Amino acid sequence: MDSPASQPDEPQQPVAGSPSDFLKNIVGKKVKVRIGSGIDYHGLLTCLDGYMNVALEDTEEWANGRLTAKYGDTFLRGNNVLYISALEDL
Amino acid sequence: MEDAVNATISEPLDIVKLSLGERVFMKMRGDRTITGTLHAYDAHMNVVLSNVEESIHIVDVNEDGIPQAPRVERRSLEMLFVRGDGVILLSPTQ
Repeated sequence: MDSPASQPDEPQQPVAGSPSDFLKNIVGKKVKVRIGSGIDYHGLLTCLDGYMNVALEDTEEWANGRLTAKYGDTFLRGNNVLYISALEDL
Repeated sequence: MEDAVNATISEPLDIVKLSLGERVFMKMRGDRTITGTLHAYDAHMNVVLSNVEESIHIVDVNEDGIPQAPRVERRSLEMLFVRGDGVILLSPTQ
């Protein structure tokens, strides 16, 4: 997997935009939301607000590498959010 | 059906609004979960619930510091006000 030093791997897309641009772009995409306690929520991102409250659809709760619960629509209170990661291409 | 629901969710709190009068599941800080009928909420996620069951998920540790099998303590409450800062998650139950 090593590439020549003269040709470092280019990112697939140029890095541009602000964090809020990123958040706008991932609405409607599958995402992973990690909260402070280390639990992950996977689901379709319905929307977010300025507090980083998150609405997810078809939510899976993952803890310690195990699927621990499934919910339909989910409201996640923003103060608990550690990060939001896109699980599909933007 | 799904689209009809989506059209009405323009901000996350709309999920809570749509759950008014419904049974909801809430995950709280301190290893607690609550199910109850949602009567009122505000922007802090302060919430009023009725016919509530609270479950407290406890892992005891014995004298040698070995964690024991998790156990759940439950209690029922007729009417409950929940302060918003303890809320992690809210989901309408089917």
